[in-house]
Amino acid sequence: MQENRTRYPGYDILNEKEHWDEHTWEIVLKRLGPFPKYKFLNDNEAKMIFTIAQHIVYDNRNEILDFVLYHIDSTLTSPIGEDQRKVGTPEQKVLVREGLKAIDKLAKKQYGARFLETDVQQQLSILAAVQKGKAVPMDEWQTIPQKELFKKLATQITSAYYSHPTVWSEIGYGGPAYPRGYVRVERGLTDPWEAKRDANES
Amino acid sequence: MPTNHDYVSHDCDHYDGHRYNHLNKRKNGNGADICIVGAGAAGGVLTYELSKAGFKVVVIEAGPFWNPQTDFASDELSMQSLAWNDTRLVAGNDPLAMGHNNSGRGVGGGTVHFTGVFYRFHESDFRVKTLDGVADDWPITYKDLEPYYKKIEKDIAVSGPKHFPWGPFQGPYPYPQREPISANAQVFREGCEKLGIRSSVAPLAILSAPFDGRPPCINRGFCNQGCKPNAKFSTLIHHIPKAIGHGAEVLSDCMVTRADVDKTGKVTGVTFVHDGKEYFQKAKLTIISAFCIETPRLLLHSACPQFPDGLANSSGMVGKELMTHSGHDIYAKFDDEVRIYKGTPVLAVSQEFYETDQSRGFVRGYTFNAHGARPLGLAKNLVSKAGIWGQKLYDIMRDYNFYAQITLVGEVLPNINNSVTLSDEKDEYGMPRPIVTFSYGENDNKLIAHAVGKANEILKAAGGEPAFVIADTGHLMGTCKMGNDPSNSVVNSFCRSHDIPNLYICSAAAFVTSGGCNPTETVMAIAARTADHIIEEAKKGAYN
Repeated sequence: MQENRTRYPGYDILNEKEHWDEHTWEIVLKRLGPFPKYKFLNDNEAKMIFTIAQHIVYDNRNEILDFVLYHIDSTLTSPIGEDQRKVGTPEQKVLVREGLKAIDKLAKKQYGARFLETDVQQQLSILAAVQKGKAVPMDEWQTIPQKELFKKLATQITSAYYSHPTVWSEIGYGGPAYPRGYVRVERGLTDPWEAKRDANES
Repeated sequence: MPTNHDYVSHDCDHYDGHRYNHLNKRKNGNGADICIVGAGAAGGVLTYELSKAGFKVVVIEAGPFWNPQTDFASDELSMQSLAWNDTRLVAGNDPLAMGHNNSGRGVGGGTVHFTGVFYRFHESDFRVKTLDGVADDWPITYKDLEPYYKKIEKDIAVSGPKHFPWGPFQGPYPYPQREPISANAQVFREGCEKLGIRSSVAPLAILSAPFDGRPPCINRGFCNQGCKPNAKFSTLIHHIPKAIGHGAEVLSDCMVTRADVDKTGKVTGVTFVHDGKEYFQKAKLTIISAFCIETPRLLLHSACPQFPDGLANSSGMVGKELMTHSGHDIYAKFDDEVRIYKGTPVLAVSQEFYETDQSRGFVRGYTFNAHGARPLGLAKNLVSKAGIWGQKLYDIMRDYNFYAQITLVGEVLPNINNSVTLSDEKDEYGMPRPIVTFSYGENDNKLIAHAVGKANEILKAAGGEPAFVIADTGHLMGTCKMGNDPSNSVVNSFCRSHDIPNLYICSAAAFVTSGGCNPTETVMAIAARTADHIIEEAKKGAYN
């Protein structure tokens, strides 16, 4: 999973943080941890989301996924709304908690083991089925719409993952640029501090 | 090292150089001439114009009074807070994603995080029934809005080309067009050029040179996360501070929960909640500028014995004919880096397909915006709207810098079944959560298919390999349409309620059709026109 993760091996966005405004600096650096204990997720739920996150973003590094987990836990305890919720879908706390239980039950039903004890291929096929709303029929799916469950987890995981500075570095994202801005924005031009590809790259 | 500061605690009452974190010293606590609900694109213009004209104006905003320097960050995740995040229930065949793509919360509303793309509607947009036999004509024409378009562009120094190739206004704009344009905009223009499609640098509410104490754009690229340098216009930094200078009072973090009516059927003011406590704002005239979901929700929730179906709703049209724009994102991969994070997100556009062309098999049309994207926005949309995850998601994101994007702003025809209604579920204020129902119609889907095909042709002509399409939407319009007939519209051509003479509903909610381009300039032009009308009516004593 970790080989060739980047086309910009020499680039670390955090080397530029001295050029960021303080507010941005403060927000981004907090994503490196350490993180407080979970307020909402229990141990099993956290482990399940951790595993699901590995599959969604195709990465297994603790230091990044710990932030993903922290972000999801914070979101689930926040009083701020969830933008939209499809009619017939429970609020996100219930959707995630009951949804994870349903996934565990599905794993037992289909593979005779709890979700965390199934192998990677089995986990991937469970997620693929839930994404399409085509998991093995169970009563739980009456109150936990599968597609909405998948979308909720996958969206939150992805939003946090692509907000981590290590991931920004790997994809060659220039990121925060205030107060200095970007000067060379036209095709083929880069500012001196932006990510540069390895000259030998194929 | 950065210090920890509390960036969510804000003052809530602002006027004449005073800022208070309580409501014990309200300037207009005993009553105002005009109360405006919502300090966004429309509310900001109304507050400014009406306070300048000498009215005692209070504007009440549900969200905070942002400070761009300490509240905005160059970060997508944390800046999602600029949207209206309160949960809306969604339904229909194409349930809308709500939040950042179509709402704002806080002083400035959506203008705080819009892309700044600033179009006038075309003449045909106001006459779709006459020209195309669909929807309704507006009760106003382009000519009615023309002076207000011109005024708004001058007021905020819109930058744009010397010659704009489409529509009734072909430039020049008050400020020179932006240069240089970004790589993504260059790619778009090259593709258009190869196919003989005209393109242009975008008209933008973003400065190309200093204006009014504000600097030109530095191409930071975070328009959608709030502009820190104040180069992009918003009513937060332009109209509202000037309105305060003219004597207006701004109540922020105050959620209006009801418009109140006396026995004669006139609106007496609004009830609002701050920090769990209920207050009342008395006013001779009330204007609801709370956009397309909260406006009908408030009107329907304010039902009372005099108006059992909700305020201003004798037609039954409050909450009906909700529109969005089809906003599909079309991506192609290139051999060289494009780096779509750099520069103002939209710097090149085309309205070559704006007007109806019967040979295409659908009516009305669309705008193309060459559009930047940031990692969170792209990855989140890939997962939630295109269903891409796992290794495939990773493969795309690894090559993030090699993609170019064109975004569609497609006209969506009004449909009576697309609506905002009230649910049984209550929010923290005890107000029913809205149900937002939306499904595309046949014409909408044909338009989308045409546009996606064209965008891919353009990207291909520029040397790209079409990669994926994200079915997105942007903007909201309708739910309190304007019209001359009180039996099938909510407000008249000046946004005045047919039913209640001292109630105005002024925002994109009054739109009759969606147009095929970004709507903010039209929202502001309508608001400026409504302000002029109120000033004239008041002179005649119409509100006494």
